[in-house]
Amino acid sequence: MLKNITLGQYFPGDSFIHRLDPRTKLLATVALIAIVFVAQGFSGFLLIAAFVIGCAASTGIHLKYLIRGLKPIMFIIIFTFVLNLFFQTEGKELVHIGFIRITDQGLRMASFMAARLILLVVSSQLLTLTTSPIALTDGLEALFRPLEVIHFPAHEIAMMMSIALRFIPTLMDEADKIMKAQKARGANFETGSLIQRAKAMVPLLVPLFVGAFRRAEDLALAMDARCYRGGAGRTRMKQLKFGKNDVIAAVIMALLLAGVIALNRMNVF
Amino acid sequence: MPIEVKSLTHVYMPGTPFEAKALNDVSLSIHDGEFIGIIGHTGSGKSTLISHLNGLEHSEPGVVFVNGIDLGEKGSDLIAIRRVVGLVFQYPEYQLFEETVAKDVAFGPNNLGLDAAEIERRVETALKQVGLNPAEVSEKSPFELSGGQKRRVAIAGVLAMQPSTLILDEPAAGLDPAGRREMFDLIRGIHDSGVTVVMVSHSMDDVGRLCDRLFVLNKGEIAYSGTPAEVFLHESKLHAIGLDVPEGAKLARRLRDAGFDMPQDIYRTEDVCAAIIANLRGASDDKC
Repeated sequence: MLKNITLGQYFPGDSFIHRLDPRTKLLATVALIAIVFVAQGFSGFLLIAAFVIGCAASTGIHLKYLIRGLKPIMFIIIFTFVLNLFFQTEGKELVHIGFIRITDQGLRMASFMAARLILLVVSSQLLTLTTSPIALTDGLEALFRPLEVIHFPAHEIAMMMSIALRFIPTLMDEADKIMKAQKARGANFETGSLIQRAKAMVPLLVPLFVGAFRRAEDLALAMDARCYRGGAGRTRMKQLKFGKNDVIAAVIMALLLAGVIALNRMNVF
Repeated sequence: MPIEVKSLTHVYMPGTPFEAKALNDVSLSIHDGEFIGIIGHTGSGKSTLISHLNGLEHSEPGVVFVNGIDLGEKGSDLIAIRRVVGLVFQYPEYQLFEETVAKDVAFGPNNLGLDAAEIERRVETALKQVGLNPAEVSEKSPFELSGGQKRRVAIAGVLAMQPSTLILDEPAAGLDPAGRREMFDLIRGIHDSGVTVVMVSHSMDDVGRLCDRLFVLNKGEIAYSGTPAEVFLHESKLHAIGLDVPEGAKLARRLRDAGFDMPQDIYRTEDVCAAIIANLRGASDDKC
């Protein structure tokens, strides 16, 4: 139950993508998301999908992982697909049973939405799978730094994010432990009606929250003890530096964008 | 409830880069009324092993048997197994969740579907068993209690299910010396009342003092098993896998190395004292 959440899970590796500057990866992901919305035809989506699969293959991360990460949002994908399929009434009619009308336009829109969602999730997963949480927040902080001029708390937000990410696996483990302990006391999380199951979560959630607060307090103390006082004047041991690889990555992203736009123009299919 | 484990292997997250073999070909049997110690270094597979003993970890058919029931077989009533094999995890005080101590201890019996009067009776008995005064703590919030008291309440929560076998994972972890002594007295009391006890620990002194039989785990395999005296004979090899032998056994071995007549099978401080006295007496007798 708790094992198929790959959010924030980092796979150590030494591929081209792993070694990229986190800022590059963040910007490239944002660019990729934009490109997914630029694509207007199947050829465009195919190109992006090929690119994403190529990236995934180059990192050495098994495709199984990316697919597993899709599971939690499968419902949303199917839901939007069905919604688009049934409620788009323009275009040539394909099927007509009772009040259900499926048009070629509807089918097209529905498939596009599903393809977009899948590509969005997979590409953002690729980011978290190849970037350690610390590098990720460092990258975010660096990218948002310019906004500090307008009092945007870039450092604080980055710190909050890194703490949150850092504690996801810890809290998962803890939830698993508490679940086992309550099961050992005869608790039943698997069967029963929805209400019964919701009630069965109370013995899990209360200790989990108590634990989270305890950990938060300990962490705050530990940070205090090491003289943490926010971002002002803080230096870092590892400075982020753009390198040759980052330029290559930027060029590749530009080529991808150009390719998708070209395919849109050509209107292949 | 006799427990039988036949060649148990457990792999965490198989087929992923995080794949880890926690247990490899572990076989053991636990008889009624025994006091068993499971010792091993951190990460040796102790916790995984005990999770198998009451079906919290899923095992293959034909591997783990409790009272003859195969826990791996589909349709085995695991809830019934968990009722007879009680499991107290490490730092059990972090599992408390109810508003009052009495309600928390009643969680297990409630899940068994017992009637209110029986539940009340069991809560009272369990609290007394762990040395708490029911009248005093029943209506308190478990979060008001001290660390040691919380742990007792958590153990009472398992005892209230009246298991015939009780498994405890590091019951004395994080307690001060007085707290440890009290905890071990309490566990000894539970064992004396007829419950089979399995205690996980990494302290040889503790298991040596209490247990009838030991299983030493190393990297997911049983390295040694037998009575404490048998296990402690492997002092240097135990050292090599990051474990120690009780102080008494060490002293006896060093005296033996120095040429004194010390029996092979002593490890309790009292026994070593007695042997030293016997040696001194013998020496003075020679002079006479």
